[in-house]
Amino acid sequence: MPRKLRFVIGVGLVMAAVAYLITTAIQSTSEYYLTVNEVRARESELMGQSLRVAGRVKPGTIRWDPATLTLEFTMMPLPKAEDGATVQPVAVGAPVLFDVIARGEPKPDMLADNRDVIVEGRLSTPARLEASQVLTKCPSKYVPDKKG
Amino acid sequence: MPLLGQLALALALILAIYSIPANLYGVDRGLPDLVASARHAIWAMCAMVTIAMLVLWTGLLRSDFSLEYVASYSSTTLPTIYKITALWGGQQGSLLFWTWLLSIFSAIVAWQNRRRNLEIAPWALAVMAGVAIFFLAMLNFVTRPFALLTNIPAQGTDLNPLLQNYWMAIHPPSLYTGYVSATVPFAFGAAALITRRLDDSWIRTTRRWAIFSWFFLTLGNLFGARWAYEVLGWGGYWAWDPVENAAFMPWLVMTAYLHSVMIQERKDMLKVWNLALIGMAFGLTLFGTFITRSGVISSVHSFTQSGLGPYFLGFLIGIAILYTALLLWRVNDLRTPAEFESYLSREAAFLFNNLVLIGIAFAVFWGTLFPVLSEAVRGVKITVGPPFFNRVVAPLALGLIFLMGAGPLIAWRRTTPRNLIQSFAAPVIFGVAAGLCAFAAGLHRWYALTAFSLAAFVLGTILVEFRRGVSARGHLVAEPPARALVNLVAKNNRRYGGYIIHIGVVFAFIGIVGSSFFKTEVKRSVKSGESFSVGPYDLRYTGLASRETPHVEIVRAKLIVTRDGREVATMSPAKLFYKAAQQPATDVAIRSTPVSDLYVVLAGFDEASATATFQVFLTPLVFWIWLGGFVMALGTVVAMWPNVRERAAIAATVRGRASDDRFAPEAASGGR
Repeated sequence: MPRKLRFVIGVGLVMAAVAYLITTAIQSTSEYYLTVNEVRARESELMGQSLRVAGRVKPGTIRWDPATLTLEFTMMPLPKAEDGATVQPVAVGAPVLFDVIARGEPKPDMLADNRDVIVEGRLSTPARLEASQVLTKCPSKYVPDKKG
Repeated sequence: MPLLGQLALALALILAIYSIPANLYGVDRGLPDLVASARHAIWAMCAMVTIAMLVLWTGLLRSDFSLEYVASYSSTTLPTIYKITALWGGQQGSLLFWTWLLSIFSAIVAWQNRRRNLEIAPWALAVMAGVAIFFLAMLNFVTRPFALLTNIPAQGTDLNPLLQNYWMAIHPPSLYTGYVSATVPFAFGAAALITRRLDDSWIRTTRRWAIFSWFFLTLGNLFGARWAYEVLGWGGYWAWDPVENAAFMPWLVMTAYLHSVMIQERKDMLKVWNLALIGMAFGLTLFGTFITRSGVISSVHSFTQSGLGPYFLGFLIGIAILYTALLLWRVNDLRTPAEFESYLSREAAFLFNNLVLIGIAFAVFWGTLFPVLSEAVRGVKITVGPPFFNRVVAPLALGLIFLMGAGPLIAWRRTTPRNLIQSFAAPVIFGVAAGLCAFAAGLHRWYALTAFSLAAFVLGTILVEFRRGVSARGHLVAEPPARALVNLVAKNNRRYGGYIIHIGVVFAFIGIVGSSFFKTEVKRSVKSGESFSVGPYDLRYTGLASRETPHVEIVRAKLIVTRDGREVATMSPAKLFYKAAQQPATDVAIRSTPVSDLYVVLAGFDEASATATFQVFLTPLVFWIWLGGFVMALGTVVAMWPNVRERAAIAATVRGRASDDRFAPEAASGGR
């Protein structure tokens, strides 16, 4: 029995170490994953926090300067069905949008009007997000713009 | 034509359903003819799914846009090779491909076991047929690959340009092969539980299948990483995206399984654990498909959300409940008197290796599911990104590498401290020396120093093991050392194949540490003729050139790379524009050496002024990841190679055992 107990302790220690690593790492690295609506509704409390925001590129708003690698665009909410947001926008009727600015990264190939994006970064002023990373969802199936 | 495919899939489903009662009733009542008929049904099922595959391939090659699948994932201008690989470019096609592999593996298992494992194999085949029924039902009723369009388009929407790459052509098939072949050991494990034949014969029978699965999971992960590195243009190869994690977790669990079955074979221990591991590995392959197809977890790769998610989840939960119940039902039969005797024993090293691997798998699982969990518990979606995974996995990986070096140096059962010092001395000196050299060379990050020292320690261990084996042979037979080495590996291919795999893992580990800790990045916007420097290299930009094909437009920049005034390379990164998909893509230029990779991205350009903006990464040691992958593959082939001695041993145990196995022919020829 004591021999068995010794092993139970050893196994327990390893498991505790894994659990400790997981909890501390979660505390120090977690980010809010929000939708455009949620960010706009809670922007004062979210200022300066590290965020991950899901939304869609508003058509005609992409500005890209290849010389300085500066990318700007406006993000709009995903259509209701795919959103799942529980927080309602503050002012009904007000456009729920915010600007995204990303500096120093190449423009993602998949970034285009109406594409779904996930933006990581911090709010610098309300309605303006300084992005450290712009991720475009890459659907395996294409639904190109019909007008094109 | 499409009708033929549809029909073949329907017949395949009927055959799979028929095979289950035929197999089970046949084995229960001792009716060999009925069992044979079930076997034939499985072969016929395999033929039917093959026909369906060929029909879809024909549709892709002929650009038959009346098929919805072809119209969505191909186009007339798509190069032929990608028309072939478009078969797994979309959901229906990949499920069909999956089912095809499963039916082939079932057919092979039916063939392999036509004269052996006569009690357990029908049950295993029934489990495999059960899984096949699920996939065939999906293909027949939920996500049909042969769905037709009423308005036939003139042109298809094309395969995603990101997938038009040779690594993407081979990554999914490798991964699927790894996923699907995990079904075989799982099915035999379940069959062993049902039939109560709980010795290690199910493990021995499926040992090669497990290694085969691991081999393809390894390749699948590496090809995926290589694809990300070459195609995505961000300078990295692994981002801990849910889709990557989904492929990584089964690999971790399979690795644990391959190690822990050795303890069962040797010491008759950990029976429950091994059965649990193979159940987990199989469950994770389904889970991987579930999270990538359901949209439950937002991934950068998130595929078109589809109705498949709930079915997969239901199937997964069903399997998990059934299998757990089965395991609990037999838990008393799985108790063994053997137990761990000492921390200083090989089995203890294996036990901790298992714990750490499963710990990593659990952390990855937790991190992947965290957004869902946090939303359910706290009502807020909180995600964890790469920093989380790196922080958790990095220290655990060090522990794992240490165990990889220590395990082979410790004897089974127990080791005396004196033996321990003796066997550890040389590898430890190796490791410490490497660490000191690295420190002297100016490497002062403690993690990297520890990592490189441990890597050298493991290599030292393996070297010692090979040397010991060769000199032991030298005492028995007189032969030159090179020949002794070859014979040594050939006679004990499983063990030395394993060591070769360890060498590959160490190489890959060195590559991962080097590239994660010492990467530098430079961004510059330059006019034609201007140059800039990255690390030891000078890059001179000499202009843009554009080219056009019916399929794609290409703008290529040219850079002349010099080092110490000597020209070493010309690099030409490009931007592509795929016309059918209306989609740009990046073509990265990479100059790879064992020391470091120079990785150049054409981030932006202005054709009028011929200015271009480059993003350049200098990433040390990435080369070793791919080399390590190659060595791992080589070692796996060595470990899988048929071994005459082992065959004879299996044949002997089979011969000496229960009456149902009439396995005499091979036993007679296999003995030496």
